[in-house]
Formats: sequence, structure tokens, C-alpha cells
Amino acid sequence: MTLRFKSPLIRGALAVTTALGLLAGPSYAQDEKVKVYLSLSYTGNSWMTEAANVIKALAKTPPYDTQVELIDVISGVDVQAQISAYESMIADGAKGIISFPISSTGLNRAIKQGCEAGVEMFMFANHVTEPCAHSLAYIGSGFGENTAQWLANEMEGKGKIFMIRGVPGSAVDVRHYDGAMSVFSKYPEIEVVAEYYGMWDDQTTQTETTKALAAHPDVQGIWSQAGEYGALQALLATGRQDLIPISGENSAGFRRALIDPALKERGLTGISSGDSPVVAAIAFKMMMERILTDRDIPNHNMAYTLPWVPADQIVLCTGDIIENGCNTFPADKVPDSFISEAFNPAYAPEISLSAALTGEPTPGATIQPLPAGELFPEAQSLPGINCDDCELPADAFALTFVKPFDAN
Amino acid sequence: MPQDSAISAQPRTLPSSIGAIRAIFGSGAVIAAILYLVMFVLYLALLPGARSYSHFQDQLANSLPLALAAVGGTFVVLTRGFDLSVAGVVSLANVLVATYSMKGTTGILLAALMVCAVGLVVGAVNGILIAYLRLQPIACTLATMIITSGIALLIMDAPGGNVPSAIGNLLFERFGPLSMPMITVGVVILLWAVIRRTDWGVGLYAVGADETASRLAGIATASVKVRAYCVAGMFYGLAGLALSSITVSGDPTAGNSFLLQVFAAIAIGGTSFAGGRGGVVGTILGALVLMLVQKLLFSLGVSSFYTGIGQGVLMIAAVLVGAFSAHIAKSNNT
Amino acid sequence: MKGGIPVCSDRKLSPAEAPATARESTPSFLSTDLGKSVVLIALALLMLFAGRLVSPSLGGLNQISAVLVLSSFLIVVAFGQQMVVLIGGLDLSIPSMITLGGLLAFAWTPHGVGELLLVALAVMAVTGAVGMISGLGVTLLAIPPFIMTLSMGIIIYSACLGATRGTPRGQGSETIEALFSGRFLGIPLIILLVAVLAALAILLQSRTTFGRFLYATGTNRQAAYIAGLPVRRMTVATYACSGAAAGLCGLLLVGFSGGATLTMGQSYLLPSIAAVVVGGTAITGGRGSFLSVLAAALLITTFTTVISSIQIEEGWRTILYGAVVLIAILAMRDGTTPLTWRLLPLLRGNKKQQST
Repeated sequence: MTLRFKSPLIRGALAVTTALGLLAGPSYAQDEKVKVYLSLSYTGNSWMTEAANVIKALAKTPPYDTQVELIDVISGVDVQAQISAYESMIADGAKGIISFPISSTGLNRAIKQGCEAGVEMFMFANHVTEPCAHSLAYIGSGFGENTAQWLANEMEGKGKIFMIRGVPGSAVDVRHYDGAMSVFSKYPEIEVVAEYYGMWDDQTTQTETTKALAAHPDVQGIWSQAGEYGALQALLATGRQDLIPISGENSAGFRRALIDPALKERGLTGISSGDSPVVAAIAFKMMMERILTDRDIPNHNMAYTLPWVPADQIVLCTGDIIENGCNTFPADKVPDSFISEAFNPAYAPEISLSAALTGEPTPGATIQPLPAGELFPEAQSLPGINCDDCELPADAFALTFVKPFDAN
Repeated sequence: MPQDSAISAQPRTLPSSIGAIRAIFGSGAVIAAILYLVMFVLYLALLPGARSYSHFQDQLANSLPLALAAVGGTFVVLTRGFDLSVAGVVSLANVLVATYSMKGTTGILLAALMVCAVGLVVGAVNGILIAYLRLQPIACTLATMIITSGIALLIMDAPGGNVPSAIGNLLFERFGPLSMPMITVGVVILLWAVIRRTDWGVGLYAVGADETASRLAGIATASVKVRAYCVAGMFYGLAGLALSSITVSGDPTAGNSFLLQVFAAIAIGGTSFAGGRGGVVGTILGALVLMLVQKLLFSLGVSSFYTGIGQGVLMIAAVLVGAFSAHIAKSNNT
Repeated sequence: MKGGIPVCSDRKLSPAEAPATARESTPSFLSTDLGKSVVLIALALLMLFAGRLVSPSLGGLNQISAVLVLSSFLIVVAFGQQMVVLIGGLDLSIPSMITLGGLLAFAWTPHGVGELLLVALAVMAVTGAVGMISGLGVTLLAIPPFIMTLSMGIIIYSACLGATRGTPRGQGSETIEALFSGRFLGIPLIILLVAVLAALAILLQSRTTFGRFLYATGTNRQAAYIAGLPVRRMTVATYACSGAAAGLCGLLLVGFSGGATLTMGQSYLLPSIAAVVVGGTAITGGRGSFLSVLAAALLITTFTTVISSIQIEEGWRTILYGAVVLIAILAMRDGTTPLTWRLLPLLRGNKKQQST
């Protein structure tokens, strides 16, 4: 019985494989589009969704729609899964892989394998220590120190603050935190009364901030990584009348709150800065220019300029595109968690609101070439993030957007 | 169930060769092997570029950490236990290797000793608390998992560290057609073949099948369990070392993704969570199947959003196929 | 629900059910269950007041209220997890179920109390039905609960991801949010709601036929089966309960944060297991009451609240968290070892002190 059962099973499997093999065979041969892969380690937060959407929208925008076949792959949240995904992509004859790397160091072997096979390896929002890859990120662009200085200025160098970090054990979190501490440590009268992890997530940040507020209702300022809207909601939920300065990232909910007259009246101020999903779109265009026109991109670890939007510069957009200096959208257009900085008219004018929300191309848009020249400057040395055996430069935490307030 | 465990615990001569084949067919290892082969053939058929020996080797190396961790878990599950500490120990071993390793071959040996020692300590704590203080396995190992991940975070607060190149190249060494992962798996299977013939090996199955009966039969059940947790801990440590070789860096949260996958690999490999049935060979194959699932879905071109549905369905199907054939074997035997 | 079961089946099963029934009815055992909860809550209060040493604002009414509000989510999911554990299973699909419930509540946005009830029932019906699928897989196909619920969790998450394309659509509901902002006699509505739900849950476990069958089945499945109990239906029902509870938790979370995300359930899996085991529920089934699980959920939330306002490294926080779980399960464990004998009088002593 065993044998009878076994052989049809194997025969069946072989038949299926042959059939599928035949189906798959010609399609590879006929394809004239270049095959590129988008590798995401996870998705489910607005940031990653928007990053994936802008890339998908670009791939469908003429003339890329006829030149490129983009296949997106979501692997698990572990390094091995992404290594495995890269290996499969390389084996499948990818011309380029654009990816959010889950680890700066763990993927090196697979990335190197890709480079050696002639695959363009482009990373966004995080660097990797393997030098053959290109990456575009804002990690070394001074988020931590600039936002911390802004908060210190608002508080005139004294008061109790919360520090809301990202994900424990993440190199990006540590870089931001170290940057912020480089500022706060200069002000002995600034007391960090609670420091906790918001996991770059509004919900967790809200829960954790509620806990911290219960213990320290007298907090006078909040320094937050992504998740700031959750912190604000926790603050509002206490019912307190006097609000405080919050430094945070780019959620639409946060930006809208910062220009809400009622909240402003109660003392809410803030700075909106931080990571922008548009880096995914720009990295994708760089990769396509490398593949299609063999453009030389000398810098491998590129630093994206930090978005920096103080409360008084926030302007609601009326249409579906970024125009007239507007930089966020009203509540009926985008949810609170939407990351406002998904656009860059200079480098990615093809991206409109619908592209960021749905991954569909902007009607009528065509791909505009990237500006000539160097594109982006080389990022500062970040040990374990974009280089091995290197040191953080002495001026790594130099302030670029704000100056320390004058204490006198 | 007792009958099953008798078959797996003591390989004995069955009345006829057909019976023997049936008995084997019912065991999880063969099912997992067939499953793996079918999936692998499919994958190769769909992805012509993957038909290279080195691609296969890379795949093996990539699956090794999970396989080793799952092998450790198998010892515990056989005794009807449960061990969540795998997540913490793998992370801890990983950051230790990335922080304290020395260069060269001696560095490899010392690193292996270090991770085994750490695993042994955590395993001993688990084992003693569970076997002698009668804590519930899942409760006790949940606590030790949390504590060990905390220690890992203390040692390294962000990914980084340096793994010496000797360890980095460890899994990618070739000895003719053989590679380090193949040799490791071979050694583990050999070890297992020896272990399951020892008193302790037989005890594992006996305790898992019926603890009270084993105690009455004179088996030192507590010591069998403690040793199971200790050996499991050492395998988790080695899994952490293997992971360090692949990622060439430390990550204090590296072990988290192992938590649920280890049990999935054990289940696919045909080891019963009710204890007393299954084995290490099936688990290794289960881990390979699990790592291949993603590749197969990739080659099938399943839309990325729905990859999870494919993964979940394949996992259920794999366990069902195993259970179904075990059922056939059982009914044919009686 | 199971009212139609003839009384005689109760009689038949009494040998198998004996331990469970004895726990429910004999005063000394009852005091242990209650005693466990008292000890856990006393520990929680102790932590809160010990916090005063660190910050004078700790341990105040403010903080107790925050702890109660935050623990409501964990209490709700822990109920479902405990139901499954009582019958000898384990539910790993809880995070995805929370997400599913949250997405639905977010999409359906109830306005007004009537709609809220309707939406809550609908959400719980959907997640309960999905939980039922897990239950059917466990009972009919004999798939290990671990694998069945893990796979279902992955499948549901993936379906949510695909259906929303990563961006949940909908609007925050002011009615659900009112549960958190509204007060009755100065007590937040959510606390009252959870108190009522918890009372119902305790009644379900201790005073209904379903509850007694549950303990009987968890204690000895085979005996329960022979005694003619609807073991399969009961098992399916517990998974449905867990699904519904997780769905409700998702709805509450939408009220708390005014939105739904795909990751909203992720942080509740391990705490739900921790609450169940710290609450003294036997993972092999058949033993444990919701009262002590509720107390454990409060203890866990209190601990995480207090620890997050103390300035130490995250690694130490994690280690302390693990240590608290370990100490709690050591103190709560059942058995005949010396420590328990020393502990039992202590529990009874506490009980006496309470009543006098």
C-alpha cells in the first residue's frame, strides 16, 4: 500500500512541476522588461505601507510601466527570512533589489552575493555596512540632537521631560537617543523623569505615555520618536488644560494638532521632523537610473536631508499634491497615522497623495529624471550602521537646524 | 499512543518488512522528508536560477539556526514539556558571541563552549524549577525567556558587535562536496541515534508518554526532565552561534523570531505535543520545510500581502498530512 | 446554552469532576482561589505604594485609575486565553484577532449606544466565528492547538494586511472613545464595563453548567467524553470565546487610541499567557479561576506601569519583569512541596484579616 500510495504522489508532483515549469519557462524568455524586486521585512505600519506604495506607483508610471517589472515580497521579521528572500531574488535573475533592510549588518553576505551577481542593491531608510550596496537614509542627519535642542529651547533649559524611544535593541533608536542625550546632558536643570519605548507605534506610545503621565503628571515637555501622535492623545486624555511642547515625527494627526487653534491656545507647540517614506521612491529612481542608463552614483551611504517643520510652518494642502508650501493633509483625506513627508517635488515630483495612499500612479505623470550632480552627500560614519571598524565623528551631533537658545 | 511511543522509542523488529515500512511511513520524519522533497522539486522547477548546488548550500546554512534550536526543543517536547526560553537563549548566545569572541579556530571552540555553558545554565534552572519545584513548563520558561532577553539587552543595547571572521565563515566552509551545515546535521543525527538507545533516551519517551507509569517503573523522571532541558539549552546556544555565523553580528532581539517557529518545526516534523512520540530527525526536516515554505511561495509568485495565508495553510496542511499518515500506520498495525 | 443537558450526566461524571467541584464548593479551597487573588492584588498595591519612594506622585488615585484603565485590555484577552487553557489548549491567534476586531470596529464606526452594542456584537460574532474555525481544526482534524492557532493567526493577519493594503480605513468612533473619557460617579466607564464583564465571566465559570463541564473536560478529557459531555462542542466554544474576547479588546483599543493599526494586537500575546499562568491556571487544563487571572492582569499592568516610570536600563526592566513573573508563579503554584505548606496558612491568614 505504501508503494502504491507513494509513487502516484511522486508522479503527481513531477507532473505538476513539469506543467508549472512549462508555464513559467516561456514567460521568462519573452520578458523584455527588467525585473526588479522590492523586499520588505514587514509591513503593517503606515510608514512602511507608504514607502511600498510610492515605489509601486513609480513602477507603474510611464515610461517605467513598460520598462520594469516590479515584484514585491514581504518576508518575515527575522534576518534569515530576508536573507532567504534576497537569495531567491538573485537566483531569479533580478536586475535590481530595492529593500528596507531589517538589519544593518546581518544581511551583508546576501547583499555581497547580489553585488557579485551584478544585481543593483539599493537600501532605503536604513544603511548597511556592506560597502557595495547603495543606501539612502536620514539616520545620520541629526534628528535626535536637533529635536532635543528645539525642546530644550522651548523649555529654556529646565523642566521635566519624557523621552519616548523607538524599538529596544535598534541601532537607529540608539543613534537618535544618543543625539538627544548629547543635548539634554548639557542642561542640568532638564530632568528626564521617564524614558520608555513606544515601538515607533502610536498605540504603544499612547499606552506607555498614559503610564508615565500617571506617575509624572507634572511633565513639562516630551521628546518623541515616531508615535508622537499617541503621546499627544495620552496627554489630551488626562483632561489637563495646559499643554506642553512635543518634539515628534511626521504623522498627519500630530501636524494637524499643532495648527489646531484650540490646542495652540492651551499651549501646545511642537516640531515635526524625522524619517520620510519618500526616500523609498528616490532610492528606487536612483536604482532605475543605474540599471537603465548606467548612471554613476559615487556615494554609497547617502544622507537624506532631515525634514524640519516647526508648528508655524505647517500648512494644510487643499488638493492632492504638495503645492504652495503645504505639507500635510486634512482629516477627510488622510488618517491620523499618515506620514506627511511622503513627498519631494524636486526628486520625486511623480508622487501625489493617491500614489502614497494606494500605490497607483499619479494620472498624467511621467518619470522625471533625477537632478544631475552628486544627488546626496555621503552620510556620516555610523559604526555598526554603515561601516565596520569606524568611529562616530567627533562632530557627529553638531546642530544643523536650531541653535541653542541664549540663556542670558 | 503508548503503542506508538514503543515503536519510536525502541526500534524493534516487526513481523514483516511491509509492517516496518508502514511503521516508518507513519513516523513524522518520513512524511516531513517527502514533503520537503516535493516542495524542493517544485521550487526548482519554478525557479530555474535556483538549480545550483551553492544555492542549496546557502539554503541549508540559512536553515541551520532554526534546525538546531528546534532540535533542542524536541527533547523537551518529547517529555511533554514546553520551552519558551529558546527566544532568550538564542539572543543571549548571539550577543555573547558578538561581544566576547576571540579570533581563529580556538575562538570557535571557546565560543561554542561559552554558548553551550550559557544554554546549560538556563536549561538547568528551567529543569530544576519544572522537575523539582513542579512549576508549569510554559510558565517557568516564559519567565526565564523574559529574563534572558533582558540580560541580552544589558550586554548589547543595539545590534552590532564584531563576530570574528573564523566564526563568520564557519557555516560556509566546504569539505569537498560537504559543507559545515551538512556535517553538523549529520553529527546531530548520529548523536541522536546514540542518545535514543541510552537509558535517558528511552526515558524521554517514557516520561512523555506516561509520567506516573514511568516513575512507578523506576525511571528517575525528574532527572530525565532536567537533562532534557539542559540539552535543549545547549542546542539553543549552538543555534545562537550558528545565527552569529550567518549574520556576522549581534542583535539582542535576534531570538524572538525563533519562539513560534521552533514549535512549528517540531510539529511539522511529527513530534507530538502530547509527549512520547516523534524525534529529532523529523524536527530537522520540519525546520527545512518551514524555511522552504517562503521560498516556494516566492517562486509561485503569491502576492506579497497574502504570503501569510499560504504560509498558514501550508503549516496546517503539513501537520495534517503527518497526522493522517500516522493514523494509517496505526490502523494498519493493529 | 447547555441547559438541555440532563441532570443525570452530572451524576455520571462526578468521579472525573470531583477535584474541580471540590475546589468550587469546599470553603477551604475557595479561600485559596480568593486568597490567590488577594495576594496578587496586595502585591500590586504594594508595588504602587513602593513607587512613592521613587516619585511622590506615584501610588496616587491618578495612577490607580490609569492602571485600571490600561489593564482592561489585558483582562479582556486574558479571559479568552484562560477559557482555552482551561480546556487544555492555547490560543496564539490572539494578536491577529485583536487586529481583526480593531479593523472592523474602525471600519464600522458606531455612533450612539445602540449602534455601539450592535457593532460590538457584530465584531465579536466575526472574531468568534474565526475562533470557531481554530476550534474545529483542533477538535475535528486533531491539529495541535499550538499549530492551529499559530497558523490561523498568520492567516488572519495576512488577510487583514491584504484587505486593507496596509492602510486601515475608517474613522474613530466618539461613542467608543466615550468609554474612556466618560465617567459615572467619578469612575471611568471602561472600568465599570470591565467590572461587569468580569463578574459575568466569573459567573460563567463557576455557576453555569457550561462552566462545570469546562473544568470537567479540562481535568480529564477522556472521562468527560465517556461521561457523555459534549467535549468537542465545548472545545470549539472556548476558542470562539477567545476570538470574541480578542475582538472586543480590538474594539476597546480603537476607542482608546481613536484608530486601528495592523500591529495593534502584537503586544498582547505574551502578557495574556503570563496573566493566565501567574493567575494559577494549570496549562494542562481544568484548574484556575478567572478571579485570580484578573488579579494577575492587574499585577502585570501595575508592574509595567511602575517600572516604566523608574529610570533604569531597558535590560534591567525586562529582567525585573521576568523575575516578578517567576516569583508570582512560584508563589501561586499548586503542589505538596514545603513552600506551599508555609504559604497556605499565609493565604488563609490574609483572608481572615480581610473578613475581620
